[in-house]
Amino acid sequence: MSQFIYQQQQAWASLKKKPGFVASVVTTMSFTMGALLCVLTLAYVLLSKPLPYPEQDSLYTVEHNLIDNNGKIDGTAYTYPNLMHLYKNQKAFSLSALLYIDGDVLLSQPTHPKMQLSFITPEWFSLLNAKMAVGRTFEQSEALDTYNPVAVLSYNTWLNEFSLAKDILSKKVNFSGVSYQIIGVLSEEFTEPLLYGPGLKTAVFLPWDYNSVSERDRKAWGNDDSGLLYLAKLPSASTSNSSSKRSPKQLEQTLTTLINNNWQENVAGREFFTNWGIGIKVHTLKSVILNGSEKTVYLLLAGVVGLVLIACANIANLFMSRTAEQQRQLAIHAALGASKKHLFKTLLAETGLLMFISIVIALMVASGCFLILQHFLANYLPRVDELSINTFTLSSAIVLVIALALFFARLSTNMINYHALNATLQSSGKGTGIQVSKNIRKGLITSQVAIVTALVFINIVLFKDAITTINEPTGFETDNISWLVLSLPSDKELNRESKIADVAKVRSQLLALPQVEMISQSRAPMAFSTLAATVFGTNERFSVKAKDVDHQYFQLINQPLIEGNYFSEADIKDDNNILIINDVFAKQLAPNGSALGIKFKSGARVIGVVKGIKIPDTSEIPARFYYPSSPSRNMMLVKVKAGQTLLRQQILNTLQHVNKQFNLFSLTTLNERRNSRLFTQYTTFVTSGLLAIIALFLAAVGLYGILSYSTQMRRFELGTRMAIGAKRKDLIMLIIKDNAKSLILGLGISVLLLLALYLSFSEYLISYINVQLVPVCLFTLLLIGIISISACYLPLRPFINKPAINSLKGSD
Amino acid sequence: MSNAQSNTATNTPNNAIKIQMKNIGKVFETEELETHALQNIDMTIYSGDYVSISGPSGCGKSTLLSILGLLDMPTSGEYFIEGVNVTSLSLDEAAEIRNSKIGFIFQSFNLIDELSVFDNVALPLRYSSEKPTDAQINKRVNECLEMVGMSHRTSHKPNQLSGGQQQRIAIARALVADPAILLVDEPTGNLDSKSGDMVMDVLEELNNKGTTICMVTHDPRYADMAKTQLKLLDGAILQSPKVAKSIRD
Repeated sequence: MSQFIYQQQQAWASLKKKPGFVASVVTTMSFTMGALLCVLTLAYVLLSKPLPYPEQDSLYTVEHNLIDNNGKIDGTAYTYPNLMHLYKNQKAFSLSALLYIDGDVLLSQPTHPKMQLSFITPEWFSLLNAKMAVGRTFEQSEALDTYNPVAVLSYNTWLNEFSLAKDILSKKVNFSGVSYQIIGVLSEEFTEPLLYGPGLKTAVFLPWDYNSVSERDRKAWGNDDSGLLYLAKLPSASTSNSSSKRSPKQLEQTLTTLINNNWQENVAGREFFTNWGIGIKVHTLKSVILNGSEKTVYLLLAGVVGLVLIACANIANLFMSRTAEQQRQLAIHAALGASKKHLFKTLLAETGLLMFISIVIALMVASGCFLILQHFLANYLPRVDELSINTFTLSSAIVLVIALALFFARLSTNMINYHALNATLQSSGKGTGIQVSKNIRKGLITSQVAIVTALVFINIVLFKDAITTINEPTGFETDNISWLVLSLPSDKELNRESKIADVAKVRSQLLALPQVEMISQSRAPMAFSTLAATVFGTNERFSVKAKDVDHQYFQLINQPLIEGNYFSEADIKDDNNILIINDVFAKQLAPNGSALGIKFKSGARVIGVVKGIKIPDTSEIPARFYYPSSPSRNMMLVKVKAGQTLLRQQILNTLQHVNKQFNLFSLTTLNERRNSRLFTQYTTFVTSGLLAIIALFLAAVGLYGILSYSTQMRRFELGTRMAIGAKRKDLIMLIIKDNAKSLILGLGISVLLLLALYLSFSEYLISYINVQLVPVCLFTLLLIGIISISACYLPLRPFINKPAINSLKGSD
Repeated sequence: MSNAQSNTATNTPNNAIKIQMKNIGKVFETEELETHALQNIDMTIYSGDYVSISGPSGCGKSTLLSILGLLDMPTSGEYFIEGVNVTSLSLDEAAEIRNSKIGFIFQSFNLIDELSVFDNVALPLRYSSEKPTDAQINKRVNECLEMVGMSHRTSHKPNQLSGGQQQRIAIARALVADPAILLVDEPTGNLDSKSGDMVMDVLEELNNKGTTICMVTHDPRYADMAKTQLKLLDGAILQSPKVAKSIRD
């Protein structure tokens, strides 16, 4: 032990004399290892860490596919009757729960916060083994058709809205006029499975009976709703006999038969659904929560491993230079009886100390990265809430410290010719003595170039792709437009006529605000539903994206009319049965002529064709139609004058002025909605750009380091060449030529790496492979070329820009 | 203090002047110290001369040889090679003069390990502005290797040769561009006496055939072999020249 402490003290004393070296090693390794630990922990949480639920492998969600007459999946959401049929009649699962997600304003709180609600059946709590902080979960008294108005709060809702009030169980929450008695609060440790996507956390759980699906839709066999979900558990191995065990395929077949047969009976006679069907798929809970984010994790891992490799190559170079510098000191150790093993231990003490300092900082960096991920990516990456320095992170850190310390110590020891150390003492310090072998130097150059070229190329491709998507024209305006959703009382609380009148008042009062230019009572441009449409006469059936808009909608977002007319104010007022379609649908309806005047079986007639708009982050424009919105529509697009803003308080004042029952459910700008859709692209844009710059920077430093060292080693040779008449350009060309092989080999390996990557993930990468890659490839080569040539030239400058004697000094 | 007459080697008016230095000085400066390495050096070397420069360690021998070989620039004075003022040339101009007019032989041979004997010798021709063809290079390299008796080792690498052989290759390399003068720095310093003697024999033979040589040595035996001996002390030429050849005769 005392020997260990002595060695650490000696190592520290030695390192203290080289603050520049220590700073370079610690900075490089702590940041790259910090990033590595963060991504490794993320990979562990997403790919390996079990879900925090009992028998998590037995938990499944059941997906409902509506399949059209061409065998294509028209939608993956449930129709309400099918979901209820499944819940009531299935026998494959031992336990199952219904789940419906919605948002509403908490009227019982003075701030009227918008809350995420989950309407569930009691089994949901049992399936997930939900522990309570206070009170109880839903029980049989809250089962289907009991209509018991109670609520369970999430811990955060208790904290944020009720300040952890002790008497929480005596309080009520009021949503849409219904008052729910709070019966429990979930434990702080409970992690809700986010089945609707990352970030969509439930604030309040309400009984299934109170879900906001309309009475009409509860009976509609053709209307699907993406808020409806089904969570179930297979019988455990101990309770099921081998004959009842089913493979996922068998399970799907059984459930498909159950649902499809019943559905066919209920849609029989409805022409639109002739030859349509229902297919059921089951997914493990884990795969639903991950929702394909494994790809992101693998990409992040590849990127960060690339950076760590470049960093290790750089640090290896620094350690080799340091060993060369320490030769005399090592020789004294050897002369005093230190064996090769002793020298290894001496070097290991230094590398170990440096790696230990680096990993301590790296753990802090990783913690910072976790916070960044949780703050910015909670809505985009699953399970980021679970990121923390855990046993896996610490074990990885220990493994990294040991592996890297041993690697760098071994590398340095391998440079020492123990038997030649004595000569070092006799040579009075002339010459460099210990030298890094040419092959190691070349290997370092090749590996640096290979990794950095592949990494930079991939990042430039991603960067360019992200920019292209971000800048892609959408075909409609988003500047100065806000979208607001009103929370209106139900028809029972306020009759339809009064509601229409009050909504009209809100509209006109908002329009009277000095900054408001135009208002449209419509859904946001990027939101559509899917509706069925059968052409009158031809009976051609379409499943089309649709939405309700008013007469101001197209002018407000500046969506151009190709032919026909926009809706008129009278069309909206009279609720005329007319449609405006986009050019894509027009082409499908009338490939060689005009679609104007075409009628559908619903009686609706096409009066206009508008140019299709592109939703950000989608690859194509689907067929769409627009129908007149109801005057009681609770959604409004508000366009303000350039440079002005509409304040939330102004809207709230207007609503309260018109009707105290009116509330603001949400207010977002179209630019926010657009940016939110493009978040992945913006993230890719920033991370790929940063990664490319960091990779280039590290490679530049690394290549400079290696070539600087190589040039230093060749000082006398360069002096000799200068003495016999070599000019500066001759020497620059010599160094470039000598390193060209390694550089070209590195480029070749990078091409192979990229090819291997393409062959392994061709189905994901095929969309990136096009002619536009040629300039990207040339640009990458240009960047690497500039860095390589600079790395060749810069270390040479001190020699070739001084008289030759400077290089020859000490050669004798 | 030396003067032009006293520091003139083989004072033969009929021979062309190869090297002429007028009042050359070299000062090395650091922040705290100014060292006068050479002071008021006047020297003329004629064609076919064989000059030795000797003196104690630190007297400025190597500095003088560096300036003679345009490896370093003087702080003051003027320096002519074959009548051309080369005192303040750019680095590339100096390189060209070194390539065409000067042949160097170093104490530690300074052969390039990765190159074969042939390529080491051919190196000055590769840097030549006259761009000789491969055939011309072949011919000239073989002639020079023949001259030093090493034509049978063309494809060997330097580390496969003895010290004496390496120095002979260095001599061939110094001769290959047909320089105006050979500058030789302690040619036997890294050799045993037998190999040293052989190298000195080669140099003498070259001089006999008309090659002008200027050699720095601290070995009085070899200094005596020169036709003219210059002695340096504290950066200045101390002693009048002696025509060694006539003494030996």
